[in-house]
Parts: sequence; structure tokens; C-alpha cells
Amino acid sequence: MPSISSGDLAALQSVSKSYAKRNVLQDFDFALEPGTVTALLGPNGAGKSTIVGLLSGRLSPDAGVIKLFGLDPRHQNARARLGVMLQAAGLPDALTVSEVITLHAGYFKRGLKTADILDQAGLTALAKRPCDKLSGGEQRRVQFALAIAGAPDLLVLDEPTTGLDVQARHALWRTVREKAANGAAILLATHHMDEAEALADRLVVIADGRIAADGSPAAIKGRVAGTTIRVRTPLCAGVLQSLPGVIKVVLRGADASIFSSHARNTLEALFRADPSLNDVDVTAASLEDALASIVEATLKEAA
Amino acid sequence: MSTLVAAAPGVFWRETKAEFLKAARMPMFAIPTVLLPVGFYALFAVGMGRGDQSVVTQMLATFGVYAVMGPALFGFGANVASERESGQLELKRLSPMPTGAHIVGKLVATMAFSAIAIALIYAVAAMVGIKLSASQWALMASTQITAVIPFALIGLGVGYRMGSKSAVAIVNVLFLGMAVMGGLWIPLALMPEAIQTIAWVLPSYHLGELALMAVGHSEMAYFWLHAGPLALLSLAAAVFAWTGQQRHAA
Repeated sequence: MPSISSGDLAALQSVSKSYAKRNVLQDFDFALEPGTVTALLGPNGAGKSTIVGLLSGRLSPDAGVIKLFGLDPRHQNARARLGVMLQAAGLPDALTVSEVITLHAGYFKRGLKTADILDQAGLTALAKRPCDKLSGGEQRRVQFALAIAGAPDLLVLDEPTTGLDVQARHALWRTVREKAANGAAILLATHHMDEAEALADRLVVIADGRIAADGSPAAIKGRVAGTTIRVRTPLCAGVLQSLPGVIKVVLRGADASIFSSHARNTLEALFRADPSLNDVDVTAASLEDALASIVEATLKEAA
Repeated sequence: MSTLVAAAPGVFWRETKAEFLKAARMPMFAIPTVLLPVGFYALFAVGMGRGDQSVVTQMLATFGVYAVMGPALFGFGANVASERESGQLELKRLSPMPTGAHIVGKLVATMAFSAIAIALIYAVAAMVGIKLSASQWALMASTQITAVIPFALIGLGVGYRMGSKSAVAIVNVLFLGMAVMGGLWIPLALMPEAIQTIAWVLPSYHLGELALMAVGHSEMAYFWLHAGPLALLSLAAAVFAWTGQQRHAA
């Protein structure tokens, strides 16, 4: 197996792509690392699917260069090292799970054995079932099985766990982690923050066709050093807003969500202002909060 | 650089097998396409034609062409449309599958399927005592199996362009229209002049005539009169399929 040095695994160089005169990506640079799970995050229409489409050779760029293992993504030897799980894809109704997997694995010279693929995708018990007798979640798992069938060096997963139950979801995550530990690069496009946090070593936030943030989940979360304080209080919004450290207040009846840059100062002042304060819940900023604030800032800048 | 792609012959063979299984396991496809032609043949030629040697032979030639139209038009038109719509073709396109392996596999599987449909008709004809020489059998059978190609190309052109529901509707119209107006059910001489004129642009008509030649019910002198237009129509069908594929790939 040829070894992969970082940089020539998969890269977009100065890529531009537009649809119907709308620039989705402009002068975009992006590269993937081996052994790393990279999650693409961002609002709908930000360009995530376009990046996935360009890297997998489904789309061609208007300008710029895309290299997959040093080749054009359409080259058969590039495709032979790529596994793709599309967001929406059907299966041949009349074939069984095992038949579909065997057929697909047969396209790859170093494809995995059907039994191993079934095992890794948690489908062993469903091997003989015709595809039209599968639930939506089971069909997604077959799509995942097809994506890993060729033992790919780059695994592209577009919303892989939509429709999966918790168990199946965790099982899929386990397999993805194993693939990364064995040196595969994983590109994950997802809307689920918990999925990105559970799997990704690197988060790339896309907003308005640009990279708004790129780093580890901890670093991205650190970009919004804030805390959410939830309390029940008779105090009005104006008073809460004037407390030290408070950035933002959302009031629903007596339930207040206070976003603070300095939780300790805010809490002390809050207890002084309302000694009867109860139901206090303090949580660190979530990835979702961080993402929302990064995207908002980027869009404001662009406008 | 050594290839990482599986050897092509193995892939072609597995695609063919998968396509055959898909067709055979779909009762809505398998039963009408295999059983209807033999049923009609038994009814028209043997029942209504009372087993008259000339009727039995002529209808064997034309019903054999009719029998391959179904698997080819539906297998390519309707099934390719639904495979494209559901993203199955996309997934194959992103894989290192040799280009066209899927389509070639489908073509070979359709020919095998058509061979079964034809064999059933031949069996009925043999039972009522049809008299054909070995070379006539062989010539007729090869003409009818080759007939899969132009109909498959027409189906493919439809399948790449239309949604699965409209593809089924269009293919039904093409199937019945080409069978009737191509003179496969009733000899063209018994039909209105307008239809006799239209028949010239239908591959079904020329294939029916070529099959009739194979069993000695038309003059071999007319071979190019039908083979020529058939070649042109097949070429047009190939362009229709190719441009459809390009649209899909874009």
C-alpha cells in the first residue's frame, strides 16, 4: 500500500464554484490529513455539500485545482482509494444486503471481504435480507457498508447517521474511529453537533463559502469563552442585562437564560440582586453556541 | 503506477449476474415480459390461426421480436430511470467500476432474459409441429436476440432523461406502438397506408421483416432495404442514449 504524506491526500487549491450565478466557493483552499476525522460544519447552503461533491468528483470546479491522491478525482485510481456515503441514495430493491455489498466491493482490487464489511457495518444479521425489506436506518447502514467496502484511504460521509437509532449511531462512530486510527482520512459533513464533537479531531466551519474557523473542537469552543446561566427570577431583563459580564439575556416568563463572559462575577451580582434565586443551572458554552456565534460574525463581516 | 481497480472481466460478469437476478426477482417485470409474449403467441397463432403452418411460422418470427422488446425497453427505460433517480447510478459513477460495466451487464442480462422469453415461444411452435431447418432456427434466433440492442438504446435514452414515473408511461406507449405499427402482431399489409408509412421509421418493423427473411417468408433480396434503415435507426438510438448519458453525467 503506498504511503500517503499529508497535503497530497486530498486538496482543493484556489477553487471557485458557482451555481446559477451565485458564488458558493471563491478562491477556496482546503486540504485533508491522514488519520484525521475532519468535520465540515455550517449552515445550509454554506458550501459543505459542494466541497464534498468536488472532492468526490461529482462536481467539477469553475476554476482552481482539485487533487485526490495526487490525481484528478475522476481518475479510476483516485476513486479506488475513495469511499463515499451520499446523503440520499437508494439500493437495488431485489438484491440482498450481502449481494449488494459483494458487487460493490468487487470494484476494488483490495476491497474488503463481504463478511468483514457486514461485521464492521453491523449488518451480519441482515445479510440475507432483500434491500426493499430494510428500514430507513438499515438502508443507511448499507450505504455506510458500501462506503467502507474498498478499504478507502479517504472516507467521505455526508450526514451519515441521519435516521439511525442511538445504538446504530454509536456503532458507526466506533467504526469510523477505527478507520481513522488505521490511517484513513475521514471527511464528515454533519448537522449534528454531538456527532462532530464525538468524532472529529478537526472542525472546519464554513460560512458564506469561506472557512470561518478551523481547529480542534476544544479550540473552536474556546473561541466563545462564555457560559450560559439559567435561573428562575422575578428580575426584569433590563436589570439582568446590567449585571457584570452579561452579554445577552433571553427571558421567558420567570425563566432567564443569561449568556455571560464571566460567570463568577455575573453569579455573585445575581445572588445579591435576588437572594431568593433558585433553579440555577450553569453550563459552559456548547459547540452549537460557538458555531452560531462564529457564523453570525462571519456573515456580518461579509454583509 | 499499478492499478487499484479490480480486473474488468470479473466486474462485467458480476454486474451481469446482479442485473439478471434483479430482473428475475421482480415479478412485475419478469411475469409480463416473459409470459405475455408466449401467451399471445399461443392465442393468436395456435388458437386463432388454428396451427396453420404459414401463420405459425410468420408469427413466430414477428412475436420473437415482440418478446425481446419488453425486457429491453422496460429493463433499460424504466429501470435506468429509477436507478438514476434513487442515486444508485451516482454511487457507481463515484466507484472505480469500469465505465459502462453496469450498462453492458444489463445488456447481456437482458439478452439472457429475452432468450428465455423466446425459448418459450419456440417451445409452443415446436409442439404444434413447425417445420424449420436448423439454420433457419439459428438465423431467426440470432436476429431476435440482436434486436435487444436498438430497443435497449431507445430505453436508455428515455431512462437517462425522464423521471421513473414518466419513463414507465413513455416506454409503455413505445412498446405497444412499435409492436402494433411495426406489424409484429398483425401483418402490415392489413393495416392502413398511413401506418405502413410510419413503420419505416420503426426498428420493430425492419427487425420483423429480417426475422421473416430468416424463416423464408420474405425475399432475401430485400435484406438491405431493411438492414440499412435499421442500422441508421440504431445509430440514432445510440446518439439518443449517449446524449442522455452526457446529460446525466453533467
